[in-house]
Amino acid sequence: MEQAKISTSQLFILMILFQLSNSLLIPLAMKAGRDSWLAILIAAAVSIFLFFIYRALYLYYPTLLLTDYTEKLIGKFLGRILAFLYILFFLYSAARVLREFGVMLLSFAFPETPLFVACAMMMLVVIYTVFKGIEVVARTGELLFVIMVMLAFFLFLLIAISGLIDISNLKPAFEDSPKILDTVFTETLYVPFGEIIVFTMIFPYLNQSKKLGKTGIAAISITGASLAFTTILNISVLGVPLIERSLFPLLTTIQSIQVGGFLQRLDVIFILALVIGGFFKVTVYTYCAVIGTASLFDIKEPSKLAYPMGMTVLFLSLIIASNYSEHIEEGLKIFPLYAQLPFQIILPVFLLIIAFLKNRKKG
Amino acid sequence: MSYRKFIKRKKPKEQSEDLEKVEPKSIGTSIKENLNIIKQKTGNSPDIIIRMLTFSHDPRVSTAIVHVDGLVDNPTINEFLVQSMEDSVQEKLEEKDIFKVFSEKVIAVSSLETRKDWDSLFQALLSGDTIILADGKKEALIASTRGGERRLVEQSDSEITLRGSKEGFTESINTNTALVRRIIKNPNLWVETMNLGKQTNTDLSIMYINGIVDTDIVKEVRQRLGRVDLDAILDSGYIEQVIEDESSGLFPTVTHTERPDAVAGNLLEGRVAIFVSGTPHVLIVPAVMIQFFQTPEDYYVRFPISTLIRMLRVFMFLISLIGPAFYVAATTFHQEMIPTDLLVIIASQTESVPFPAIVEALIMEVTFEILREAGLRMPNKISATISIVGALVIGQGVIQAGIVSPAMVIVVATTAIASLATPNYDIAISARLLRFAFMLSAAIAGFYGIILGLIMLIVHLVSLRSFGVPYMSPFAPLVPKGLKDTIMRGPIWSFNERPKSLHPQNPVRQGKHQKPLPPLKRRMVRTNTKEGDKNES
Repeated sequence: MEQAKISTSQLFILMILFQLSNSLLIPLAMKAGRDSWLAILIAAAVSIFLFFIYRALYLYYPTLLLTDYTEKLIGKFLGRILAFLYILFFLYSAARVLREFGVMLLSFAFPETPLFVACAMMMLVVIYTVFKGIEVVARTGELLFVIMVMLAFFLFLLIAISGLIDISNLKPAFEDSPKILDTVFTETLYVPFGEIIVFTMIFPYLNQSKKLGKTGIAAISITGASLAFTTILNISVLGVPLIERSLFPLLTTIQSIQVGGFLQRLDVIFILALVIGGFFKVTVYTYCAVIGTASLFDIKEPSKLAYPMGMTVLFLSLIIASNYSEHIEEGLKIFPLYAQLPFQIILPVFLLIIAFLKNRKKG
Repeated sequence: MSYRKFIKRKKPKEQSEDLEKVEPKSIGTSIKENLNIIKQKTGNSPDIIIRMLTFSHDPRVSTAIVHVDGLVDNPTINEFLVQSMEDSVQEKLEEKDIFKVFSEKVIAVSSLETRKDWDSLFQALLSGDTIILADGKKEALIASTRGGERRLVEQSDSEITLRGSKEGFTESINTNTALVRRIIKNPNLWVETMNLGKQTNTDLSIMYINGIVDTDIVKEVRQRLGRVDLDAILDSGYIEQVIEDESSGLFPTVTHTERPDAVAGNLLEGRVAIFVSGTPHVLIVPAVMIQFFQTPEDYYVRFPISTLIRMLRVFMFLISLIGPAFYVAATTFHQEMIPTDLLVIIASQTESVPFPAIVEALIMEVTFEILREAGLRMPNKISATISIVGALVIGQGVIQAGIVSPAMVIVVATTAIASLATPNYDIAISARLLRFAFMLSAAIAGFYGIILGLIMLIVHLVSLRSFGVPYMSPFAPLVPKGLKDTIMRGPIWSFNERPKSLHPQNPVRQGKHQKPLPPLKRRMVRTNTKEGDKNES
């Protein structure tokens, strides 16, 4: 851990930016069809329980990172292995997000640029940021959040005045309830909401631990609401069939904006907003991997790890899948079941039970 | 080779011999020896003036007045020192202690001190004081006679305002501190002086308001100044560069001003001012980013107007930072963003231009920078020629020759004006340099390059600190109350607290309820008016 503190408002902004980033980009909960916004809301509600599991773990060890207290809970050997697996999980997640942004950039704005160049440029900035530490990450978030909010407001205004919204695309609602729940527990709960597991590596930096509960609930609810709102917008503008065929539905929605003959093809501007979001997610994941590795292997200056670990993420992002459809397939079928389910839900619950038993004995 | 070696060996030896000869640390009893030491140490310089006075009743007791020509105030010396001493040497002295007589009866200057050690005597002599030596005395009197030719208090050239005080600092440190004292008439305005620079012995003052300023900041300033061991301090820029937090970055973390009212305003917010003798530029620490977009005048005009002007300045800064980069990105990578009609115009203009947009932009930007630098250092008469050459030959010619497109000239000109509209030169120049980096990143990766550059810039800015205060505060870390006086300039009556990021000891600035209100009876309230009340309606 480094010597730094972040405030609750900074954590709040970090959590929102982190969860929104690539979930704004990819089609979310599309298995539930036109009720996907409902699936998102339910997933957000369920993830508040998850958040309380993470918070309970943090309250047992308010000064330790996730990768530190695994050792205390399940023994030195197993704990270290688990911590190491978590670091790999963070690295892989960072690489996935980076890949998604790289592909998005290439397909929308830079068709002739190699994927490596697009990813490497982003990674350069990420490495610089991680090198500077968590305080800088949090403060950068505060400034960029303002830009994001302004862009979001501007975007909604443009969509509203260009008369694209067709509410009838959303009807009938609540068509197939089991399918909605199925979507929640196989997809949406893990991405983006379950990903807040990574914040167990950031909670110890908080300067007011008492306010964590409120902050977390507020952040998750706002994220859930804004994602649901975005999905409603997408569905009402594009309709379900078009979204299902689209790789990046929000950008398709933005492309259809035309106001007054001169505000058109605004997707480039909004790609920038998405770049900000993507930058954040990759930064937070990479930072947590770096800080976890530093504490696991007892490295004095974590910032020195920024460069090698950043490079690892960059190369991982290029080799994890041979093409984008394979990447999506892995993201929808394999990754949630074999990595996200255990790392985000099963293991934290298991750790919490052990922590509860251990601390009860003491008391 | 051998000749060089000879010189190298010889030099240090000579010096060391010299040092051994003249090293009595404090003053001796014989006036002749003392005067010899002074002559020897100053190398018999003719501007060191020594005047001997001998007492008529006792010719053996003689005194000497030593001062440096030009540094002293001549009327003071003539009237209050030389004249009165000459009068007194005619009389018979009752008292034995001649210095006591001088200081109590004869010399009429504001401050007199006795000193023994040569270091402080020379320090005083070279600062413009006068030394009085007497035979048989193992000490000397220092009379304060500082003066000489000085620039008068004038309006500052670099910080011009329409409203507010016209006074600007001068090169004299005493005048400068007095100018601030004239504004803040408060015993809590504390000044600490020190003397830095091994060869130049430059006077330095730290000024702050005790009870407002955070003592940690003052300690930090003292500690950083205490570390300074420079040969010479010719300007406050020397000090700035050795006490700032990040000396290799592009952004200034210490601000400076030539205006006493700006210093006063900053002191009242809880900052520390550093005055350096010989320069009108006073340093102010700690500095935050947004300060560089503010001027004292902002507080003198009404708040909606200064808010708009501040917004304009930040916008200008952004244009001067990414204006050309934006144009390069849009025309090279994202033509679909440009409305079709405009795109057709731009395309028809650039058709005959042999270079890509980035080369055009670089040509024009570099040309402009050359013109600006040339105009800055030239005498006024020649700079008119430069502007004609710039406007006609380059502006007109480059388009007619078809080397650069007219649209690019417009972009570069707008950027140039925007960069001049930024009120602080230090921050404008960092935007000027970063502009080239942004242009290159836009040429490589369009808007993606620009936004990555901006993120990197933000990351750099939030990581900076100035004397422990985050550079981007009150934006990041966010201090909601501090936002009143940033890009916005809230009404004066709402500035109830000092900036929190400076941790002032006394955070309350003014009383509550300072908002002016119309008289009660003019407000829209239900009152029971009787017949005969003075009510207009």
